[in-house]
Amino acid sequence: MKYAQLVMGPAGSGKSTYCSVMHNHCLSTGRTLRMVNLDPACEVFNYPAVVDVRDLISVNDVQEDEELILGPNGALVFCMEYLVQNLEWLHDELDEGEDDYFVIDCPGQIELYSHLPVMRQIVDALKSWDFNVCSVFLIDTNFVLEAEKFISGALTALSAMVAIETPAINVLTKMDLLSERNKQLVDEFLETDTRAIVDQDETVWNSKHRKLTRTIAQVLEDYSIVKFVPLNCEDEESIDQLLLTIDTTIQYGEDLEVKDNYPEEMDPEQE
Amino acid sequence: MAEKDVPSSSAASDPAPELQTGPNVDQKPSVLVLGMAGSGKTTFVQRLTAYLHARKTPPYVINLDPAVTKVPYPVNVDIRDTVKYKEVMKEFGMGPNGAIMTCLNLMCTRFDKVIELINKRSQDFSVCLLDTPGQIEAFTWSASGSIITDSLASSHPTVVMYIVDSARATNPTTFMSNMLYACSILYRTKLPFIVVFNKADIVKPTFALKWMQDFERFDEALEDTRSSYMNDLSRSLSLVLDEFYCGLKTVCVSSATGEGFDDVMTAIAESVEAYKTEYVPMYEKVLAEKKLLDEAEKKKREEEAMKGKAVHDLNKKAHGDEDDEDGLEAELKSKVDRIHLGGVDEENEEDAEIERA
Repeated sequence: MKYAQLVMGPAGSGKSTYCSVMHNHCLSTGRTLRMVNLDPACEVFNYPAVVDVRDLISVNDVQEDEELILGPNGALVFCMEYLVQNLEWLHDELDEGEDDYFVIDCPGQIELYSHLPVMRQIVDALKSWDFNVCSVFLIDTNFVLEAEKFISGALTALSAMVAIETPAINVLTKMDLLSERNKQLVDEFLETDTRAIVDQDETVWNSKHRKLTRTIAQVLEDYSIVKFVPLNCEDEESIDQLLLTIDTTIQYGEDLEVKDNYPEEMDPEQE
Repeated sequence: MAEKDVPSSSAASDPAPELQTGPNVDQKPSVLVLGMAGSGKTTFVQRLTAYLHARKTPPYVINLDPAVTKVPYPVNVDIRDTVKYKEVMKEFGMGPNGAIMTCLNLMCTRFDKVIELINKRSQDFSVCLLDTPGQIEAFTWSASGSIITDSLASSHPTVVMYIVDSARATNPTTFMSNMLYACSILYRTKLPFIVVFNKADIVKPTFALKWMQDFERFDEALEDTRSSYMNDLSRSLSLVLDEFYCGLKTVCVSSATGEGFDDVMTAIAESVEAYKTEYVPMYEKVLAEKKLLDEAEKKKREEEAMKGKAVHDLNKKAHGDEDDEDGLEAELKSKVDRIHLGGVDEENEEDAEIERA
């Protein structure tokens, strides 16, 4: 069994930062995370990638091609579709060993999840290679500082989730950039019954959409997989907590424990 | 083309003293055309523009997509005149996505001028159409997108039209994902929302309408394609969407053939009424939020300018000459000149009737 986190979210949500924070955190605790960049349009990242899709194809390559006249979005779609046609390349590059844990930086564009089958195909491929996959959907906290915007964020995460059908953890990033007041506000959203928060605001719009809001809030309540986890990149404990949540979702560590208890069953080829 | 001002690094739209006490509800509406890349936003705007011209009720058209190569309709204000996308990539060393965001951010600082123009011309047009960037999150999940949306909505009736590619939406999972995203935009903007099923010439969107009217039918279609893991969640989400569809305005059009566009105008008119009753009361709150966002953006830009200065200083040190402040200012100025800020102060009056390449 191998493990993979798929890191996704709108542009600016902090995907690359998340990846480098995770990588550094695990380095300091003696864990090996193998980092993968699957975003052909990404510009720069500061984590060591064992696989980079731009070695196969990049948006720059495509846009420079004189025969294909594609804008940035068309180029991105082209790259992803090219990747899907060359999944053996990815498999070779991953060169995964038993119990390897990958963090995969994915492109943010929602079209690639909901509109096109490409991300789904990549996820299915990973599963066929014996990977346990979990999506980590990032949203910049600054965009959800209001009950309705919070719901909006949850719906965006759900939109991606239903398309690729993996367990998902939704992460609120950039908590460290919030003012004290806003931090409290976010804590309130995360701890309180979502419906209660929404009921607070009496406006014509809220009244008109009350039933819809309640139905959504119910889903958020009933399905813990849709809950949000805050992330403060400056706080080791926050990072640790998130990692633990993801590991549990991905079922990482369960097999390891069994192996520890029954050393005679340990695969001699493994370290 | 009007001579451009070169803004200093700390210039941003200062919150002007508010002369109006609330949105001007009698003004002609603005329509924000949103949708996934490839859904047909630009073609929709093209067709709607032609439709309105034919009825002698021309629209005022604004293009907010900095990366589009050809704009196939006569446009009154084009972001590409204010910011040169390719130059931004070059001058700031950015990739395509970063450049789109930067273009939008730069446009955002001038957007008050755009609002002024819209208000000034309001007597002469029937509706103002805004075509948005290809990648939807450049607009829906960005500060500049929010500022632009809120600026419009605080000024006069604003309506969101969400374009759906009917051909792709025949897949129930795609349909569900798309509708959830539409719902997320509804909650983000809180503006009257119209779903436009486009490409009706390729696939009749009646399947979509049937799914929206009959929850069971949709759930059946979904069952065939979804994995057991998602069963319960999927069904619960179908219930969410069922609520979403209540009272949701939808129109089926073909931007290619022109069918359905009478319905578009009816939907817009009805939405304006909804705007008056639902949105206007929230106006004050939104305005306060916008001010906060504006200030945050201003601060960020100042920080970036400082960063640029820091990099510049480091470069200078590396090359061994401790230069003075003027060198940096001149360099910034020439950089900004090259990306051609400005051009919004007067819209393309003379070009308004001509199709622009």
